[in-house]
Amino acid sequence: MSSATKKRARTTPEAPVLPRFGVPWRVIGYVVVIGMAMLYLLPFAIQLATSFKTGPDAAANPLTLWPTTPTTAAYERLFGLSDSASSVPFLRWLGNSTVVTVVVTCSRVLFDSMAGYALARLDFVGRRLLFVLLLSIMAVPGVVLLIPKFLVLNTFGMFDTYAGMIVPLLVDAAGIFIMKQFFESVPREVEEAARIDGAGTFRIFWSIVLPMARPALITLTVLSFQGSWNEFTHYLVSTQSSEYETLTTGLARLVSGGLGSGTLYPLKLAAAALSTIPVAILFFCFQRYFVRGTNSGSIKE
Amino acid sequence: MSQTVSRPAPPTGRAASRPGRRRRVGRQGLVGWLFVSPAVVLLGLFMLLPVLMAAWVSLLDWNGQSNPFTGGKAEFIGLENYRDLLVDDGLDRTLFTTSLRNNAYYVLLFVPLVTILSLSLALIVNQRLIKARSLFRTVFYFPSVTSTIAVSTVFLFLFQGSGTVNRLLSWIGITGPNWFADSRGVLWVLLGALGIVDPDHPSGLLADHGFLGLSWFEWLSGPSVAMCTMILLATWTTSGQFMVIFLAALQDIPRELEEAAALDGVNRRQLLRHVILPALRPVLFLVLTLALIGSWQVFDMVYVMGQGAPGNTTLTPAFLSYQSGFKDADFGQGAAIAFILFAIILICTGVQRWLLRERSGRSAR
Amino acid sequence: MKHYSTTRRTTRQIALVGAATLLAAAACSSGFDDGETEQEESSGPQELNVLIASSGDAETAAVRAAVEAYQEESGNTVNLDVAQDMNQQLSQSFAGGNPPDVFYVDSSQFANYAQGGSLYPYGAEIEDIDDFSPALLQSFTTEGELYCLPKDTSALGLAVNDTLWEQAGLTEDDYPGTWEELADVAGQLTGDGVTGLVTSSEYQRIGAFMTEAGGWITNADQTEVTADSPENVEGLQFVQGMLDDGVMAFTTDVDAGWGGEAFGKGDAAMTVEGGWLAGAMAADYPDVEYTVLPMPEGPAGPGTLAYTNCWGVAQDSAHRAAAVDLVRFLTQGDQQIAMGEAFGAIPSRLSAAEEYLAAHPEEAAWGVTGDWVQGPVTAAGFDRVLGQFNTDLESLRTADVSEILADLQTNAEAALEENQ
Repeated sequence: MSSATKKRARTTPEAPVLPRFGVPWRVIGYVVVIGMAMLYLLPFAIQLATSFKTGPDAAANPLTLWPTTPTTAAYERLFGLSDSASSVPFLRWLGNSTVVTVVVTCSRVLFDSMAGYALARLDFVGRRLLFVLLLSIMAVPGVVLLIPKFLVLNTFGMFDTYAGMIVPLLVDAAGIFIMKQFFESVPREVEEAARIDGAGTFRIFWSIVLPMARPALITLTVLSFQGSWNEFTHYLVSTQSSEYETLTTGLARLVSGGLGSGTLYPLKLAAAALSTIPVAILFFCFQRYFVRGTNSGSIKE
Repeated sequence: MSQTVSRPAPPTGRAASRPGRRRRVGRQGLVGWLFVSPAVVLLGLFMLLPVLMAAWVSLLDWNGQSNPFTGGKAEFIGLENYRDLLVDDGLDRTLFTTSLRNNAYYVLLFVPLVTILSLSLALIVNQRLIKARSLFRTVFYFPSVTSTIAVSTVFLFLFQGSGTVNRLLSWIGITGPNWFADSRGVLWVLLGALGIVDPDHPSGLLADHGFLGLSWFEWLSGPSVAMCTMILLATWTTSGQFMVIFLAALQDIPRELEEAAALDGVNRRQLLRHVILPALRPVLFLVLTLALIGSWQVFDMVYVMGQGAPGNTTLTPAFLSYQSGFKDADFGQGAAIAFILFAIILICTGVQRWLLRERSGRSAR
Repeated sequence: MKHYSTTRRTTRQIALVGAATLLAAAACSSGFDDGETEQEESSGPQELNVLIASSGDAETAAVRAAVEAYQEESGNTVNLDVAQDMNQQLSQSFAGGNPPDVFYVDSSQFANYAQGGSLYPYGAEIEDIDDFSPALLQSFTTEGELYCLPKDTSALGLAVNDTLWEQAGLTEDDYPGTWEELADVAGQLTGDGVTGLVTSSEYQRIGAFMTEAGGWITNADQTEVTADSPENVEGLQFVQGMLDDGVMAFTTDVDAGWGGEAFGKGDAAMTVEGGWLAGAMAADYPDVEYTVLPMPEGPAGPGTLAYTNCWGVAQDSAHRAAAVDLVRFLTQGDQQIAMGEAFGAIPSRLSAAEEYLAAHPEEAAWGVTGDWVQGPVTAAGFDRVLGQFNTDLESLRTADVSEILADLQTNAEAALEENQ
């Protein structure tokens, strides 16, 4: 190893520790990486292209990235612009998904941070027990709760209502955990100072601690949004009427069911693409926070 | 992990601080419970209570058409539902063992595959040489934030009999299978291609004898072609998420460590083996655990991509639980399956925790 | 975690919390219906929820039109909902205690729902019951009580694509009347991306060949399982032979969701479907010319399967009188004929069926009656067994027929025993 590389390594932290690969290796490396990236991107590209094809075109040319006869028929049908007898109630799905996601996200941000703050900072009887319960709840796998959740919703008369779709999702254990972790990292002095100034606990929480928690709150927001937007099983067991279908349950039933639905791929792929867009936008704007969320979720183990 | 660690400890012992503490508890106790009450009520009602109710229902023969909590028509049958699934020969047990077999193969393939792939992606993206690193990270990460339902729809299209993938394969002279309609086990397909067995006509010892209602031939056939497609999809969507976890750990490796190794004149492979991989060990176990738990919970994909078809080879315990309850109106059995599944997941996690404790315990403490 | 000292207390506390929540749940379990009938609203305009399992746009549109006509006439409001997954949605809604007021009941599900007490038996309230086909009424009668009115019916017929038929050099004289002829023409039609015969692999289609061989899954009154009879073996082996020769394929082999789709796209020259094919073809593939023939005869003579749905009314419905009123309206002769015109359903009223088939001789094959027309298995608890049978049939091409039928025999006998 030359001393020049060593020196460079010291001066710029981004420089590699070991010397660069030779040119042929670098070329091969780039080819492999770009090939991998294509594998991850092409399905989405084909999805978009196919959604602008006609049914027969999609069946005949599943590989082409440009429709031979571009058409927006699939999108028109989704938005109810064409007069097909049973156009897919896509706008209803979209509306339901939006309403549920917005309510759930707002509520999770509030309730999770309140509970997280209390668990991290407030001293009260049973706190330790609650934390143990929280950890055990996080260990309960979601699919195990399919029938149980249905039973509870049924008992409370909440089956097949918006309340049944929303209320059970209003709080999530992992979110509380994330917020608790964050609040524990905040220095106590700030709160103590405010307390000496005579501020009450709720005031301290609301106007001092929460504003400091901005990064954690954004993380929680994007995670909650993504989670409730993509949620499927809970909506599946909490509703039955098609008026409560969300993008996930509606699309899943459209894709998996129905004698008459045939294999309308452009339509299905268009619906899938549209349902991906909000999360995609959020992802591209706040990728940092998705990363943070993925990693904070992993600390829990 | 324990919250007492990060909190500045009271200057004196517990007993000494008691009066002060009590006053604080008095003041904060109410507020504290006020703050956690929405979470406690909601989690109690929709996480804890359901488990208890389902435990009761799993002991009933309940067809979903009456109230199981006030007597009604649901008969208390004790452990009958569990016995049907695990002991008594019959359709219930055959379906359940089939779903266990399917899921076991899923675990066997998916867990190593996704771990190796995500680790490789992380190592590649972490290369300080690569230009446009963040672009690549975004590309690999994106599938894991999309909804499983949406990407399953895309995969259904790609893997049709005359779909994109088979069209690609035909370019290199391979006639691809009809992915979602092919119930043959891949192991037999591969052996069949070598002319060792005839996958279409099982015969001999393996086909004539069995265990828990499935013949050895069925036990050993490997995941079906259709199941492999789902494993591919899961790998594709999950690898980005695990890559991010690995990346965070890679960036936490002290640079001095690598530089010291470099000064010792190690080459790239030695650096990976002796410096990077040991540093990644805890995260590696974490990823393995997450992958393992996740793979016993496959549901969304199964719902969209076949609901058990072809030939029950994509049936998973999670989906079978749902199907028994909501489709066959046998909620007792559905709940029983859910509890067995819960036990499986807990055991898997327990075993991994134990392994993890053994390893990290020695080095850390 | 370092909670060793508190573990014990914690466990006890968890147990306490658990017991308390369970008590709370038992105290307020109001969502379930306790078998008491709900209060009925009988005066004023009412709101009815109707859930149907549509065979396609044509059927949905026709039912919607009929329902709108009823709203005009009665002043009641009707919300029509189309299920994507009828059995799941219906059983979930029964368990949830809020079923739709009026809904399709498939004859294969009928016994489960009737025995579970979910159906309101309104048969005795129907005045002109004699006009309905006795065979169909029988499908919806259990323990002497008629629960619901058959909506329509259809037998399976063999649909033939006229263009492909001519291209293969075949004429009307070649229409297959026997198995041999069917296999023969299927061979001539196969080639150039076209498969002679394409059906889905379910027993609901290829079971027709079992009846043509003289067999069926159960005996006539469904008290005995006859699945492993040599007749059934013969019927399935015939199908297997055609599959093996490549002149027949299942829908999944040609990327189709059901027979009609493969048929409409021209991937199949022939398919086996019922009257609903007419509606789907008109809606999705209006340019395809086709002819519907009776199913070819097998060694035991003619045989086919017939399907029917009934208009179920929920026992829990708060609008049962209005619901029965709606059913009365929808099962009128002219309504049934309108449905037939729209999507090929054969009326369940004898008078209407006669009128309809006279006007549509081309659909005669779907309207056949006789004791060689086999209805579906309606015994309770057979759902899962038949589901498993369908799963086994997916691999019929390579499977051992007698093994499939032996499994069916075992499972079906167990189900029969359990539900008696």
